[in-house]
Amino acid sequence: MGSGELRYEIAQNAYIKLVLHALKHKTAAVNGILLGRLSDRGDAVEVLDAVPLFHSHLGLLPNLEISLLLIEEYYGSKGMSIVGYFHANERYDDTELGGIARNIGDHIFRYFPQAAVLLLDNKKLEALSNGKDRSPVMQLYTRDSSKNWKLVSSDGSNRLITKEPTANVVLLDYMTSGKWQNVVDFDDHLDDISKDWLNPDLFK
Amino acid sequence: MVTKSEEDQLNRLEAQVDNAGGGAWEYLCLVRKLKVRRPDKVLKHGLAILNDSKKRSALGTEEWTLCEQVAVAAMDCQSLDVAKDCIKVLRKRFPDSKRVGRLEGMLLEAKGLWAEAEKAYSSFLEDNPFDQVIHKRRVALAKAQGNITTAIECLNKYLDTFMADHDAWRELAEIYISLQMYKQAAFCYEELILSQPTNPLHHLAYADVLYTIGGLENLQAAKKYYASTINLTGGKNRRALFGVCLCTSAIGQLSKGRNKEDKDSPELQLLAVAALEKDYKQRAPGKLPLLTSALKSLRVSS
Repeated sequence: MGSGELRYEIAQNAYIKLVLHALKHKTAAVNGILLGRLSDRGDAVEVLDAVPLFHSHLGLLPNLEISLLLIEEYYGSKGMSIVGYFHANERYDDTELGGIARNIGDHIFRYFPQAAVLLLDNKKLEALSNGKDRSPVMQLYTRDSSKNWKLVSSDGSNRLITKEPTANVVLLDYMTSGKWQNVVDFDDHLDDISKDWLNPDLFK
Repeated sequence: MVTKSEEDQLNRLEAQVDNAGGGAWEYLCLVRKLKVRRPDKVLKHGLAILNDSKKRSALGTEEWTLCEQVAVAAMDCQSLDVAKDCIKVLRKRFPDSKRVGRLEGMLLEAKGLWAEAEKAYSSFLEDNPFDQVIHKRRVALAKAQGNITTAIECLNKYLDTFMADHDAWRELAEIYISLQMYKQAAFCYEELILSQPTNPLHHLAYADVLYTIGGLENLQAAKKYYASTINLTGGKNRRALFGVCLCTSAIGQLSKGRNKEDKDSPELQLLAVAALEKDYKQRAPGKLPLLTSALKSLRVSS
């Protein structure tokens, strides 16, 4: 089955971790890696976890390569693989999927052809406190047959959903309590290795 | 750029003030000195002082510095009314001040009135073409509107005159990196290394860029700059240690089948691996097995 009909289901903790990371570094672009696997029936990609990566120099390779090595090493032993990439642009009204995101997406696609690229939707994030919108505050991009990352329209098709329908409610709660301060990314880890990029205690 | 001990000191003060333990003025002064961006805290604690007439008068003439600091923080947090009030107070006290004029320009920016802000800045520059802060605000203005090419042009022109402005070189390098224009970014770091040869962060960033561009010569140069970073930081910079491992591995892959002279000796990589493992054993022992097996996959097979 091609990526044309696949659903992408993101677990609440993975989803919240990525958005909180973006909120921690409001004035920078940030990115993260999606971990998970293809569903048993092959009709969906289950994003079970996420690792926030960097908040500076996203376009440089060395730290990315190290982080991917360590991430693959850890999650491989848990039966998960890298299934996608998350990116949040620096500016509020920048809705474009830039070159860095596409390149990293391409790299992941080589190992997992159903890979997804998620781009933070700032307007949706801002509107979170108003609405009862349950859809994730992210845009979904998948690779089309001409090897480009194409935006998957969110009208009605619901190809990107959070596994738990209450995810946005929980996210809003964490945003109010300033939980983003506790998110550790790979940049933080490289600066101080006692900080754990797995964020084991984030939701405790 | 802030050192780790400065950041720790700042965070300690911040936690103290947040928990009503006093020290708000020291905190605000430190934020100003280190030029860090913590707008929500500055706004909260700065405004608390300004709104308390006793605390405010105790500051004397520093009151105006605080007012300026709070105005900028308010704009950063989109509390434009607070910013407007602070600027009005400053304008009343300093009616002919260019410095207050800059704040008024920034307020236009914060409101998204790009054309008006550009007009204000252009007229400032007519009066004083050497106002560095206004030049840089114009770059920020272009960047905020998404005109990255204009931002790069302005920044390059600025650096033609003010070539000793290290922050500007770093900003330009970061913009280039975000656009994946690595060769241009490398040029910026070369300038920085020339003017600040003992700053390890420039060596590190340069090495990262060289590695990203790739190719045997660049990888070998990157390795040298990772090594100089390690030298300048007494072996404490983890990113440089990892960088050495990556370079050795990549060089080994590229020079497979070439002459032996092109191959590097593995000593540097072995030393880097040992240093990393020691560090993880001490400070992140839970991650040590992960590190060891990941580094194993980087070992060059001769």
